[in-house]
Amino acid sequence: MIADSELVMNIKAGNKKALQALVERHKKAAYRMALGLVGNRDDAYDISQEAFLRVYRSAGTYDQSQPFLPWFYTIVANLSRTWLRKRKRTDHRMVDVDDASYLLISEDNPERSLINKETINALRNALMKLSFEDREIITLQHFRGMSYDEIAELLDIPRGTVMSRLYYARKRLAKHMGRDDG
Amino acid sequence: MMDERHRELLAGYVDGELSEKEREAFEKELATSAELRAELEEFRKLKEVTAGMKYADLPDEVWENYWSNLYRKTERGLGWILISLGAVILLSFGLFEAFSALYANPDNPLWLKVGVSGAALGAVILLVSFARERIFAYNRERYREVDR
Repeated sequence: MIADSELVMNIKAGNKKALQALVERHKKAAYRMALGLVGNRDDAYDISQEAFLRVYRSAGTYDQSQPFLPWFYTIVANLSRTWLRKRKRTDHRMVDVDDASYLLISEDNPERSLINKETINALRNALMKLSFEDREIITLQHFRGMSYDEIAELLDIPRGTVMSRLYYARKRLAKHMGRDDG
Repeated sequence: MMDERHRELLAGYVDGELSEKEREAFEKELATSAELRAELEEFRKLKEVTAGMKYADLPDEVWENYWSNLYRKTERGLGWILISLGAVILLSFGLFEAFSALYANPDNPLWLKVGVSGAALGAVILLVSFARERIFAYNRERYREVDR
């Protein structure tokens, strides 16, 4: 299998087949990353597409000695951050009521019996009340299932910072959930 | 009393990310600290809730059309660049011709020439001002990207 970084070099040379290969490889991950950050399926789809367009247009700025995923994740995160800022300006509700079902009860998980409708609503609301950085670390660890080493590499931060950020993000998430429950 | 190291270890313990040595040392502290045990319980509940959830996926046909949608956007991008480039060239040529004709004709009164010059200069100042604002905003945006 051709490495991601090699595909980006081919994209830089104008090879659209390389772009297609990269898209097929990472489209679902890009969508899920964006979904965790913005909480809306339509917007997550648009952000993921825009992220690949940025790769296509900015392939020349990619440093081949660096891994592809952290570079790509930064693009997705920045697009999501910009999108949230724009939405906040026009709509003060952080949760899009049209897409309250972006987070679902997993059918193949033994924990499903512990979850009811109120819990899932409380979690959705609490997630969208978190800061971008808190939601980011929760998304990567809880919903993307990434290890600390993977998160550290993706965000370019030390492993200890991953642990510390997770601790505080969880505290705030639990606090927001408690408020919604009560 | 919890310190920063305890907080980091607590996160790692919940996620099974500690080494055996770290885990054993943390379990000893856990046995003597009610505060740690309470936090551990809180985090475990949170993990149980999120473990039972997943992100909603998109329908299969959306994934099937994903590449073709993106491909169209890459083509449109090129189209916009060419249209913009062509428009700038045509507009520049048109303005050059119009100004040349205006100033070359001695029948045109001075007030007309001064008025047109003033409007053109004002438009250039506004254009430069907008461009500077956009560049400033873009640079600030990039700094935000670095400051994670």
